[in-house]
Amino acid sequence: MGAGCTKVQSQEEAEDAAIKRNMEIEAKREQKVLKLLLLGAGESGKSTIFKQIKVLFQTGFDDPERRSFVPVIHANVYQSIRTLLMGCKEFAEREGESSSKYILLPENQNYGERIAEVESPEGCSLLDEDNALKVQNCWKDPAIQAAYLRGNELQLPDCTEFFLNNVLRLAAQDYIPSQEDILFARQQTTGIVETEFSPDKDPKNKGVCYRLFDVGGQRNERRKWMHLFDGVTAIIFCASLSEYDQTLLEDDKQNRMIETRELLAWLLQQPWFENTSFLVFLNKFDIFQKKALKVPLSACDWFQDYQPLTTNNQEIERAYRYVERKFKKIYEENTAPSNIQRQFRTYRTTAIDEGIIKETFRLVDDALTIQRLIQEMLNVLHVLACSSLEGVFLACEWQRP
Amino acid sequence: MSLAELRERAFQASLQVKELKEQVLMRRAQLIDSDVASFAQQNDFSTTQLQPHDFVCCRTLQGHTGKVYALDWSQERDRIVSASQDGHLIVWNPLTSQKTHAIKLASSWVITCAFSSDGVAVASGGLDSICSVYVLNTQQEQPISDPKTLHGHKGYISCCKFVPKRDAQILTSSGDGTCALWEVESCQKVSVFGGDSSCGHSADVVSLSVNTKEPHIFVSGSCDRTAKLWDMRTASRATQTFQGHGGDVNTVQFLPDGLCFGTGSDDSTCKIFDTRTGHQLQQYKDSHLSSEGAKVNSIAFSISGRFLLAAYSNADSDCYIWDTLTAEKVGNLKDSPNPHTMPVSCIGLASDGSAVCTASWDRTLKVWASNERETQGVQHDGLRVTITLPLAYKPVYYKKFSLQAGTIKAIDKETTLHAIWTHLRGTSSNGQAFRQVASYRNRATGTAGNI
Repeated sequence: MGAGCTKVQSQEEAEDAAIKRNMEIEAKREQKVLKLLLLGAGESGKSTIFKQIKVLFQTGFDDPERRSFVPVIHANVYQSIRTLLMGCKEFAEREGESSSKYILLPENQNYGERIAEVESPEGCSLLDEDNALKVQNCWKDPAIQAAYLRGNELQLPDCTEFFLNNVLRLAAQDYIPSQEDILFARQQTTGIVETEFSPDKDPKNKGVCYRLFDVGGQRNERRKWMHLFDGVTAIIFCASLSEYDQTLLEDDKQNRMIETRELLAWLLQQPWFENTSFLVFLNKFDIFQKKALKVPLSACDWFQDYQPLTTNNQEIERAYRYVERKFKKIYEENTAPSNIQRQFRTYRTTAIDEGIIKETFRLVDDALTIQRLIQEMLNVLHVLACSSLEGVFLACEWQRP
Repeated sequence: MSLAELRERAFQASLQVKELKEQVLMRRAQLIDSDVASFAQQNDFSTTQLQPHDFVCCRTLQGHTGKVYALDWSQERDRIVSASQDGHLIVWNPLTSQKTHAIKLASSWVITCAFSSDGVAVASGGLDSICSVYVLNTQQEQPISDPKTLHGHKGYISCCKFVPKRDAQILTSSGDGTCALWEVESCQKVSVFGGDSSCGHSADVVSLSVNTKEPHIFVSGSCDRTAKLWDMRTASRATQTFQGHGGDVNTVQFLPDGLCFGTGSDDSTCKIFDTRTGHQLQQYKDSHLSSEGAKVNSIAFSISGRFLLAAYSNADSDCYIWDTLTAEKVGNLKDSPNPHTMPVSCIGLASDGSAVCTASWDRTLKVWASNERETQGVQHDGLRVTITLPLAYKPVYYKKFSLQAGTIKAIDKETTLHAIWTHLRGTSSNGQAFRQVASYRNRATGTAGNI
């Protein structure tokens, strides 16, 4: 009887001890993983960076995975042409009866009406060669091209030009998306996606493992869940350089660059990110290069005090440096001068360019190694301030082979 | 009709709506002639005084390696499930402080957890927008089965609750502004509350509470500063909307009688609303906390409804105990001998009201109850019997103990109270598991309950 009692007791105690052991092992393992959080406003290029990681540091996309992108790409094509058609209609109305700049050619009008009527991109069937020809004709229509020039007033995805120029290839029977197609494909991220990778070769970094999280960029109350990321090593903040003249998808009165600035300032102020490094990826530099000479930076209120000096290519470099300084200023305004643990870096990126991203991540790795070393140094100094030499050696774990 | 004309009409309509809303508010304000505290004062209710031993931390549950975000008690078997930043759900036995299960979640970003009323399943939800339901196995050789996953929400899952008396259904609230009712077995969505219709919330829904007396009624709290009352049978519109808070409504909780519910908000106040009249009955506000900007993380009511426990997010980790009738603060868990060192994220009341559990960012959970009065039993067959009395049970001193198969009978000669304790766990061999004696029945007064 007494034995029966202890048997039940000891079984439970054994379970409890086993659970405790497992949790401790897990916790130790987790400490070695460096967590990186990808943040940024919608369409700033976060998911593209995510896909690049897969290509660069993991095994890339295999055939079935590539084929899974076909519906997404076709939906993007329909969405692009539909947005352009609706835009045409709106611009035509605003211009009035006299102008015919935005009126489609007669042979395209019929198809145009049909596409405009379909409610959602999912409602369309997959793009076939017949439809693709009609889409291409629409795209080549001067009215649509005129609307495309005013693309910043519409909510056009960045892949518009690339996909619509290649629409016949995309509609082929045996089409398998190329790596470039996949990187351009736009699908709204919901929930959270994560991936683990190790930066390449360097023997110093044996065992360093990064885990990257992409939390989707749309406007849902970030303040309600941001505290979950307390303790991440660094935040990779993606800002699209080319959005200074565009407005938000959710609110067409708010300028996107201003929104990005507000988001960065808010993040820098959060108490849980006091010791977190901020690595700003100034993304879509390729589009910025084409835009900077045509559209003045002062289209965005934040860049009001920018004075262009010349109109040649050197101006682009100057404009970029100006934007970089502006971001640095936001960081300085929101960080206490006594905070030395936090690192801040800006990187010029074009997310769809593999080479640039690879180089960028090498620099990121360097910056985070510096952060780690600073942290260890601070630990050592703290111990020195407290006491013995033994403590110093214990704290210098990273020096052991 | 052109776009410009449509826009103008929409604008006029929204102005009209605004005006009507203001009229409703004015009319409501006219009807409120009193609140609970004034009523209590007029009728000479006095504030309850809490003695230091009335609220003591009797267990500290340690084991999580990250901040604990949510907890839930089970109905029948007195277990607690907790969810933490380390990506695990742990099921605890609060009596023995031992862990019975640890579940590693597929996505480590968990925000909420719930226990089914039969104690067999636990659910969790978080940033992955999926609610996962795990069935707990009683035999430890088999690992926890793969979860049933409920997909469909377009935003993070902020709260999930099993529908009482209908274990096969679970209710979830999400950052996409909707609540959804699911059938667990088939993983199908039964209905959606909110979403496209403008009668739903216009911002993230962050909390839920189901009415235990009438399980088809529930209330949801949202970042649009309102709480809405819903009837599961009509998903198209909310039955009622309750306004008045100045910030996100972080937590909602029905009172045990099901006629009123309490809310806690980012504006540092708690309020009680009446479902029958739709009015706010009382506000619980502390000027010191308001000036600090402390947010209310979670609330819980005592089983009689007399006490309201509210956990705040300020650096002091205050956890006030309010007297609901007189709106006075009567205690603060922070002042007890070993309080939490970081803010409390969630408070839960045990099903019989005998204990309260708090989960905190300091990685522990604490169980609070009235100071245990232990009665030492007689040595019998070399077995020491310790009987601990529950909060709701007044201490009576027993003169004689006798052991029978599976039970202890205690008889008090003076009052002839008979109390029979039965143990719940294990097989019925005599004397087993008296450490876990868990329920009692008092023949004289007819009360029964769990320890």
